[in-house]
Amino acid sequence: MKILAHLFWAAVGAAAAFCLGGIALDRGEHINSIWLVLAAACSYATGYRFYARFIAARVMTLNDDRATPAERLRNGHDFEPTNKWIVFGHHFAAIAGPGPLVGPVLAAQFGYLPGTLWIIVGAVLGGAVQDFVILFASMRRDGKSLGQMAREEIGKVGGFIALVTVFLIMVILLAVVALVVVNALKGSAWGTFTIAATMPIALFMGLYLRYWRPGKVLECSAIGFVLVMAGIFAGRSVAQSASLAPLFTLSAMALAFSIIAYGFLASALPVWLLLAPRDYLSTFVKLGVVMMLGMGILIVRPELQLPAFTRFVDGTGPIFAGKIFPFCFITIACGAISGFHSLISSGTTPKMIAKETHAWPVGYGSMLLESFVAIMAMIAACVLQPGVYFAVNSPAGVVGATPAAAVAAISSWGFPVTVADMSALARSVGEQTLFYRTGGAPSLALGMAHIFARSGGGQALIGFWYHFAIMFEALFILTIIDAGTRVGRFMLQDLLGHLAPPLGRTSWMPGVVATSAAVVGAWGYFLVQGVRDPLGGINSLWPLFGIANQLLAGIALCVATTILLKMHGPKFMWITCAPLVWLVTATFTAAWQKVFSPLPAVGFLAQADNLEAALGAGAAASASTTRTLIFNARLDAVVCGILMVLVAVILFDSLRVWIGILRGTREARVCEAPFVLSELRTEEL
Amino acid sequence: MRRLAKLAVALLRELADENAYRRHLAARGRPHSAVEWRRFSDERLRAKYARAKCC
Repeated sequence: MKILAHLFWAAVGAAAAFCLGGIALDRGEHINSIWLVLAAACSYATGYRFYARFIAARVMTLNDDRATPAERLRNGHDFEPTNKWIVFGHHFAAIAGPGPLVGPVLAAQFGYLPGTLWIIVGAVLGGAVQDFVILFASMRRDGKSLGQMAREEIGKVGGFIALVTVFLIMVILLAVVALVVVNALKGSAWGTFTIAATMPIALFMGLYLRYWRPGKVLECSAIGFVLVMAGIFAGRSVAQSASLAPLFTLSAMALAFSIIAYGFLASALPVWLLLAPRDYLSTFVKLGVVMMLGMGILIVRPELQLPAFTRFVDGTGPIFAGKIFPFCFITIACGAISGFHSLISSGTTPKMIAKETHAWPVGYGSMLLESFVAIMAMIAACVLQPGVYFAVNSPAGVVGATPAAAVAAISSWGFPVTVADMSALARSVGEQTLFYRTGGAPSLALGMAHIFARSGGGQALIGFWYHFAIMFEALFILTIIDAGTRVGRFMLQDLLGHLAPPLGRTSWMPGVVATSAAVVGAWGYFLVQGVRDPLGGINSLWPLFGIANQLLAGIALCVATTILLKMHGPKFMWITCAPLVWLVTATFTAAWQKVFSPLPAVGFLAQADNLEAALGAGAAASASTTRTLIFNARLDAVVCGILMVLVAVILFDSLRVWIGILRGTREARVCEAPFVLSELRTEEL
Repeated sequence: MRRLAKLAVALLRELADENAYRRHLAARGRPHSAVEWRRFSDERLRAKYARAKCC
């Protein structure tokens, strides 16, 4: 039996190597997406079985006899021992956001290969390890948060920096995801109507759940889902109606201000009325769509149309500027390593783990599944014709302001596409145009619609599937916007409460309104900046978000390395230190280039200088707009610089602690909760 | 197959906070009512949305 198991795992490992080699070495002909699926699945299985097991057994020494906080502190509320697969699903639903969907779609501008390899390797050796170690550390510390652990293990500076970094990330994240929605919905009556319809549907669900059928969340969500589907079908009629279509055909700026107003109102409304019901619905839709996409890819097994590498590996890409190193890694972000996951791994999840060994599938396994979602997004983007992919994702500032200019520019890069092709595609999905829809969401929706339509329903339903995919993306992005604004408000109130105590009270309405306005104003400013940006906004905002997110992962890996060093000395610190070194190298290089690169397409300061020169020479189209663009470029440079300084401080603080421990001048005290024998039987769960 | 379906339903109930509500009722020895649901929901949602949602 043991020999069979060895043979099985040897075959899985060989299949992983064969498939990875296959996709890496194949040139010329289109490859089938199933190669990517198999390469990912076999690599994940090998990593999970051997590397994660090694970490669980040798490094963490997970022990099921040791009572977890869920058992010791059980309160029937947040501390509750739960079946491991339920915690797995819960954790996955919490970590899966728009990042692993949008990042790979944007990174596909380099071709399918660089992004795919990083998604697989980064997740197995970095992202999943980070999530697993932080979950383990929090579980051994009564479910403490990343900030609390940073304070305890590294010092007070670490805790404060983690808080400020999270706040900054939140502001940039909310702006960039709002921009993704704006670019997906601008000029789209069908899309805008569908998303607008989710508001009254969510309000209805909130009232239904609060007063008519209290506690029936699943029933209410099922009704909500049916209504949202009806909204998508009705959207086509609205888009075709001469009287209704203009009401829902909004410019990018009008949409941006609508989302800003929505964010402000939604963050101040009671959560049960709008946020919570939509969050329930978006969670179920998210899980369902991920499963559907997985099955769709297996059924259709589409061929990838994008090449392994495109000419844009040299840094001249139209979607975002910068070379493959470091920008591919920054852009992929959550699909490989996400700093935000460390907040979830040290949030609700450690309080639900019933047995220590469950942290293995939950912490490591969930990240592998998230990485697989990123692979599916990469496939969905790469099944599009390259010309179509670039026509949808390239901003007017790069390819030209008319469709004819855009197709001429894109065709000259070796990706032929015509205005007629694009018009036919737009008509088939019920849109007026698909040009200049930067942000990744529309091209992802097109790829998903292509896969869903071929899985069932045929081309007749492609418009429905396109808007279904847009609805799916926008639904949980809007939930992130109002939940994020609310959390940002709490963080700001927490900080300001030290200066003026009334501002810290969440029940004091003027304080609530002022801090909500401040948070909405902060991300709203970046959103408007993105809308005004002639390069589409994504070119500057997504790298900023990627840098911020990866720097937060750097903080998490600093905490994890400190803990491993205190537990075992230097023996196992390479497990988290190796991804940390890579992350710091890639992220600081990207941040440095974004600030100081002499190329105006890459460096914020060079971009500002370039615009200033144009203004001085009288070559700028509008002086006031150009001045705003100059200010925005410098502001982006300052934000990027602040993030670099913050993380450099925590990095040096960590190094100081590590050197002290290694030299023996500092006590390597592990701050774990004491051992208590578990009395929980897993059959109870 | 039945076990898988049972697990899927349990996961959906957990994501929907219905399991948490059952635990809340059991821990306090109270029957289900609209008032009790609102009390549970307010407490649960306050904690839930004090945390950032993942990107």
